[in-house]
Amino acid sequence: MSAVPGGAPIEPETPAGAVRLAQRRQALPNGWWAMALFLCSEVTIFGTLIATYFYLQFGVHQWPPAGIAPEKVTDPSIATGALVLTALPMWFAARAARMGSKRTVLGLVALALIVQAGYFGVQIALMSHDLQHFSPRGTAYGSIYYTLLGAHHAHVLLGCLLDMAVLWFVASKGLTNYWLTATRALALYWYVINGLAVLVLLTQLSPSL
Amino acid sequence: MATVVSPRGQRYVDLLERVWGERKGLVGWLTTTDHKRIGIMYFFTALALFGAGGVEALLIRTQLFGPNGHVLSPAAYDEIFTMHGITMIFLFVIPMTTGAFGNYLLPLMIGARDMAFPRMNALSYWIYLASGIFMYIALAQGHAPNAGWFNYVPLASKTYDPSNNIDFYGWGLIFNGISSTAAVINFIVTIFKLRAPGMSLNRMPLFCYAFLAVSFALLFALPSLSVACLFLELDRQFGFQFYNAAHGGAPLLWQNLFWIFGHPEVYIIILPAFGIATAIIPTFTHRKMVFFPLVALAEILVAFLGFGVWVHHMFTVGYATVTTVYFAAASLIIVIPSAIQLFAWIATIMTGTPEFKTPMLFIIGFIVFFIIGGLSGVTLAAIPFDQQVHDSYYVIAHFHFVIFGAAVFPILGGMYFWFPKVTGRMYNETVGKVSFWTTFVGTFVTFFPMHILGLMGMIRRNYTYPAGLGFSTLNAVETVAAFVLAGGLVSIVLNLLISYFKGPMCGSDPWEGDTLEWSTSSPPPPYNYAVIPTVTSPYPMWDKADRELDNRRLERGEGVFALGHRTPGSTVQDAEFDELLKMPPHSIWPPVTAMALAGVFTMLLLGHLFIAVGFAAAIALALLGWHHRGSEP
Amino acid sequence: MIVVGGLLASGCGRQSIISNQSPPAHGITVLWWWMLGVAGLVFVGSVAFLVIGYVKRHTPGLPFLGQNELAAQGLVLLFGIGIPLGVLVALFGVSDVYLIRQTAAPAPNTTRLTIHVIGHQWWWEVRYGDGHPVTANEIHIPVRTRVNVVATTADVIHSFWVPQLNRKIDMIPGQRNRVLLYANRSGKYRGQCSQYCGLQHANMAMFVIAQPAPAFRSWLAHMSTPAAKPTTPQARAGERLFMNSQCSSCHFIGGTPAQGTVGPDLTHVKSRSTLASGMIPNTPKWLADWIHNPQAIKPGDRMPDLGLSWGEVHQIVAYLQELK
Ligand code: HEA
Ligand code: HEA
Ligand code: HEC
Ligand code: CUA
Ligand SMILES: [Cu+2]
Repeated sequence: MSAVPGGAPIEPETPAGAVRLAQRRQALPNGWWAMALFLCSEVTIFGTLIATYFYLQFGVHQWPPAGIAPEKVTDPSIATGALVLTALPMWFAARAARMGSKRTVLGLVALALIVQAGYFGVQIALMSHDLQHFSPRGTAYGSIYYTLLGAHHAHVLLGCLLDMAVLWFVASKGLTNYWLTATRALALYWYVINGLAVLVLLTQLSPSL
Repeated sequence: MATVVSPRGQRYVDLLERVWGERKGLVGWLTTTDHKRIGIMYFFTALALFGAGGVEALLIRTQLFGPNGHVLSPAAYDEIFTMHGITMIFLFVIPMTTGAFGNYLLPLMIGARDMAFPRMNALSYWIYLASGIFMYIALAQGHAPNAGWFNYVPLASKTYDPSNNIDFYGWGLIFNGISSTAAVINFIVTIFKLRAPGMSLNRMPLFCYAFLAVSFALLFALPSLSVACLFLELDRQFGFQFYNAAHGGAPLLWQNLFWIFGHPEVYIIILPAFGIATAIIPTFTHRKMVFFPLVALAEILVAFLGFGVWVHHMFTVGYATVTTVYFAAASLIIVIPSAIQLFAWIATIMTGTPEFKTPMLFIIGFIVFFIIGGLSGVTLAAIPFDQQVHDSYYVIAHFHFVIFGAAVFPILGGMYFWFPKVTGRMYNETVGKVSFWTTFVGTFVTFFPMHILGLMGMIRRNYTYPAGLGFSTLNAVETVAAFVLAGGLVSIVLNLLISYFKGPMCGSDPWEGDTLEWSTSSPPPPYNYAVIPTVTSPYPMWDKADRELDNRRLERGEGVFALGHRTPGSTVQDAEFDELLKMPPHSIWPPVTAMALAGVFTMLLLGHLFIAVGFAAAIALALLGWHHRGSEP
Repeated sequence: MIVVGGLLASGCGRQSIISNQSPPAHGITVLWWWMLGVAGLVFVGSVAFLVIGYVKRHTPGLPFLGQNELAAQGLVLLFGIGIPLGVLVALFGVSDVYLIRQTAAPAPNTTRLTIHVIGHQWWWEVRYGDGHPVTANEIHIPVRTRVNVVATTADVIHSFWVPQLNRKIDMIPGQRNRVLLYANRSGKYRGQCSQYCGLQHANMAMFVIAQPAPAFRSWLAHMSTPAAKPTTPQARAGERLFMNSQCSSCHFIGGTPAQGTVGPDLTHVKSRSTLASGMIPNTPKWLADWIHNPQAIKPGDRMPDLGLSWGEVHQIVAYLQELK
C-alpha cells in the first residue's frame, strides 16, 4: 500500500503538469474509463441490432425479400476502409496528447475529422440511393437494414461532433488534464466505432458475400 | 469526527468547510453536485413514486376484492396495473437502490469525497425526475400505457393500441435508461478509481460489490430494452415492420429483447438488497460475514448468470424442447449463488450474537421472504409446471415475494439503519418494531394466497373474475391484508418523519457499524471525511487503531487535501494512491441539459422530428456551457 | 403447508390444476406436490437455523461446534452448494427431462382428431379439420382420445389454457403452435385465455366438453348441418332483420346469406351453454340483453351496440333460439 502524500502539493493545472501527471499515473484516467464503459453499452446496442438482423433473416424464406437486390460490395467497403484507417491518426493524437504536443493533436484530429466527415457524407449518399429502391416500411428487412446503418451513421456523426469539441477546447484551453484525457477517450471512441463499422458492413453485405 | 478535534486539526476542518460549503436554498439543490444531496433527492422522488405505485396497487386490490368488481373500468384497470408495474420497477426500486442508497452511501463506504463525475451524477438524477414526470403525464392525460409492463406486441402495436399511450412507454423507457446508464458508469468508475488508498478490491465492503455487480448488469442489460423500445416506436410512429409478422417481422423478437433485459433486471432489483443485507447483518451480529470472498463471488455470479436465463419467461411460446430445457437448466444453476449468499447470512446470524433491532428484523423478514419467493422461482424453472401456472397468480405471488418481500424489505431496513447517519437522529425503536410486524404479516397474507389462486387457475391481469370459481375468499383476504401492509408502510414513513424533527441525537456511530460511513459525523459534512481514511481491512470501523491514526493524521494535515475540491484517485485493483482529482463545483448545467433532453423526447413522442433535432442542438449548447471556461475541473 | 393442501383440495374449482383430469395434467400435479414437499422441508430447515440463531443469540459460535470459522464455512458449502445441487439435479431430471415429454405437443399424425382453435379478441373460434364445422367457445372432444389442438391467432397473442387437461400454449401471429388435449372422463372443463390480450382478457373463457365417442360423433354430424329454418313468424322476422342489418356482416350462419367472419359462427348458437366466451348463460333473456347492448355486458368488446329496439331484439332472439 502506498501512503497518501501528506500536506500534498496540488497537481498543477497547467498543460505541463498534465503531461507530468499523464506520464506518472499508473491507472488509466477516469475519463477514459467512463468512455470505455459507455462504449460497452454502445457495443451491446450494436450486438443487439446485428443479432436482430440475423434473427429476422432466419424467420423468412428469402433474404433480402423478393424485389430487393443484394447490396453492392465495393462502395461501402471502400468507405469503411477509409474510416477504419482514421484509427491511426487518432492513435497518434492520443500519444501526442500524453506528450503534451498540442499542435500535433490538433493536426491529427483535424485530419481524422476530414476523413470521418467524408465517410459520413458518402454513407448518407449511399443511403439515399438505397431509399429509392426499397423502403424501411415495406419489409422487416428494410426496417433492420436502415436502422442498423442509421444507428452507425449516427455514431459517426456524434464522433465528428466530439472531434470538433476536442479541437475547439484543446485549441482554446490547451492540453489541460481534462482535455488531455478527453483526447484519449476520443481516440478510444473511434477505435470502437471503426471496429463496429466493419461488423456493420459485414452484416450489411452478408447476403451478397 | 467523533473525537474532539484539536485546534490544529480544526484549522483544516475550517478550510474544508469553506471549500466544500454548499449553496443554500432552492438554488443550492438545483445546482448541487454533492452525492449526498443528490441521493436525498433520489430518495424523496423514488419514495413519492413508491407511494404512487402503492396507491395503484391498492386500487388493483380494491377492484379485485370481490367477483365482478366495479371500482375500475376495464380500461382503467389495464392502465393502473401497467403503471403499477412500470412505476415500481423503473421509477421506484432501481432509483431507490442505485440512486438513493448507492449515491448516498457508496462514496462514503469507500472513503471518497464524491462520485467520480459529480455533475453527471446530478444529470442522472434530473433525467430520472424528468422521465418520471414524463411517464405520469400519460396518466394525467387520461390514457396511460396499458399493455402491461412487458408490453407484448402486437397488442402494443399501432393497430391494436392506436392512441399515444404506448409511445409514453417506448420513449419514456429509453429516456429513463439514459439516466440509469449514466448513473452506473459513474458507479463503476467511482468504485474502480475513487476508493481510499489502501482499500484494495479484497478489502472493499460487500455492499460495494453488490453495487458493482448491479452496475455492470444494468450497463449490459439496458441496451436491449432501449433497442426493443426503439424498434417499437419505429414501428408505431414511422410504419416500420420489426414486429409485424405479416411483413417478415417477428412478435417474438420483442419478447426476446425484452426479457434479455428483463431477467437481468430482476437480479438488478435484488442485488442491492443483498448488498444492504450484507451491510446490516455484520453490524447487528457483531461479527464478520462468514465466507466473505465466496459471497463477493456469488454476488457477481448472480449478475452474470442472470443474462443466460431469459427464455424462462417464454416457456409457453412454443419453442422447441432443446431450447427451453437449456434455459431451465440455467435458471436452476442460478440458485447456487443465491443459496451461497443465503446461507452465508444465515451462518453469520447463527454464529454471531444477533441483536434484533428494527433494521435487523427487516433483514430477517427479507431472508424468510427470499426463501419463499426463491423456492417458488425454482418451481417455475420446472418447465411443465411453469407451462401450467405461467401468467397466473402463482407468478404474481413468486415475484412479489422476491420483489417486495426480498428486495423492498432490505430497502426498508436500510432506511432505518442509515437514518441516524443521514439525519443525526434516532428513530423510535418500539414503533419501528410494530411497523415491522405489521408490514411482515401484511406482506405474507397479501401475497401468499396468490400461490393458491394461481393453482386454482386465476389468471393475472384480469380486471375481474367470475363468482363460482372459488377465487372470492382469498382475494378478499388479500385485499384486506394489502391495506394492513400499506398501513405498516405509512407508519414507517411517519416514524422516520417525526424522528427527523423529534428524535434524540445519536452521534456518529450508534450501531458500532463496520464500514467507513460510521466514522464521519451524522449527517456527514459536504466533504465526507476531513482526512481520507486509512483502510487495512474490509471492516475499517472495527480497526480502532486506524481510526485513531486518522485523528493524528488530521493534526498533521496529512491526507486532508484542503486546497480545492479534491479527492484522491487510486489504482483499480490495489487502490494505491495515483493522483489527486479535482472535483467540479456546483453547476446549473445538469438540470438544463436534462430539460433539453426532456424536450427531445417530448417532441419525439409528439412526432415533431425537426423540433426534436432543435432540442438536441440545445443539448449540445448546454454541454458547451458545461465545459465553459472556469467550470472545468 | 397442510393448510395449503386443504385449501387446494377443497377449493379445487373447475379450473384448478390440482383437480386434473388427464395424464399430463396429473403428472404436473404430482410434480407440484413433490416440489411443495421438498420446498417445505428446505423452508422449515432454513428457518430452523434462524430460530437457533435467535435462541442462542447471547453466545457466539455454533451450538456444539463453538466458534469455529471452518464449521461455519462448511455450513455455507453444504447448504449453499451441496444440498441444492442434489435437489436441483433431481428436479431437472424429473421435470425437464422426464415429465416434459408427456406435456410436449403430440407428434404429427399420431392423433385421430385435429382441432384448430383460433384466438380472437375476445373469443375462440373452433374448427374441426378443414372445411368441417365451425363453432365458438365450446370445444367438444371425444373422451379418452388424444386430440391435437392447433393454436393460432387472428389478432394479438392469446394463450390456450385448460388447466385440468394440460399445460397452456400461446397463440402467436405467424406461428402454428400445438398442444395435446386428452380427458380421462366425460365432463365440462373450463379454460381461459391466459396471455393478456387487451380490455376483455378477463372474459375470454371457453369450455372443453368431453363426451363418449358416439355422442361426440353425432354432435359433430349435427354441427356440419346448415342452420335450421325459422318456423314462427316472429323468428322469420328475426331472420330477415338479421340478414338485413349489420349482424350478417360479422356473423356466419350456415345456409344463409350471413357470411361474416368477424364474430362467432352462429349456425348452432342455441346448442352452446354460454354466450360471449363463457361470460353469460345462453338464455333468451341474456341473449336479448347481449344483442341489445353488448357493450354494457362486455365493455370494449368488438361487437358494437347496434341501437336495436327491444322489439327488434326479441325478433332476433326468437330467430337465434331456433338455431339449435
Ligand atoms: C427480485 C426479483 C426476482 C428474483 C430474485 C427472482 C428469482 C428467481 N426467479 Fe423469478 N421472476 C421475477 C423476479 C425475480 N425472480 C419477476 C418480476 C418475474 C415475473 C415477471 C412477469 O412476468 O411480470 C419472475 C418470473 C420468473 C419465472 C417465469 C415465470 C412465468 O412467467 O411463467 C421463472 C421461471 O423460471 C422465474 C425463476 C426464478 C428463479 C429460478 C429464481 C432464483 O434466482 C431464486 C433463487 C433463490 C432460492 C432458490 C432461495 C434461496 C435458496 C435456498 C433456500 C437454498 C436451497 C434451495 C434449493 C434446494 C432449491 N422467475
Ligand atoms: C418493485 C416492484 C413491485 C412492488 C413493490 C409491488 C408492490 C405491490 N404489488 Fe405489484 N406488481 C409488480 C411489481 C411490484 N409490485 C409488477 C412488475 C407487476 C406486474 C404488472 C404487469 O402485469 O404488467 C405487479 C402486479 C401486481 C398485481 C397483479 C395485477 C394483475 O395482474 O392484474 C397485484 C395484485 O394484487 C399487485 C399487488 C401489489 C401490492 C398489494 C403491493 C404492495 O406491496 C404495495 C404496498 C405499497 C404501498 C401501499 C405504498 C405505501 C406508500 C409509501 C410508503 C409512501 C408514502 C410517502 C409519500 C406519499 C411521500 N401487483
Ligand atoms: C362488428 C361486428 C359485429 C356485428 C355487427 C355483430 N356482432 Fe355479434 N359478435 C361479434 C363479436 C366479435 C362477438 C364475440 C364477442 C365476444 O365473445 O367477445 C359477437 C358475439 C355474438 C353473440 C354471442 C356468440 C357466442 O357464442 O358467444 C351473438 C349471439 C351475437 N354476436 C349476435 C349478433 C347479432 C344478433 C347481431 C346483429 C344485431 C350482431 N351479433 C352483430 C361481432 C359482431
Ligand atoms: Cu385472449 Cu387473453
Ligand atoms: Cu426471470
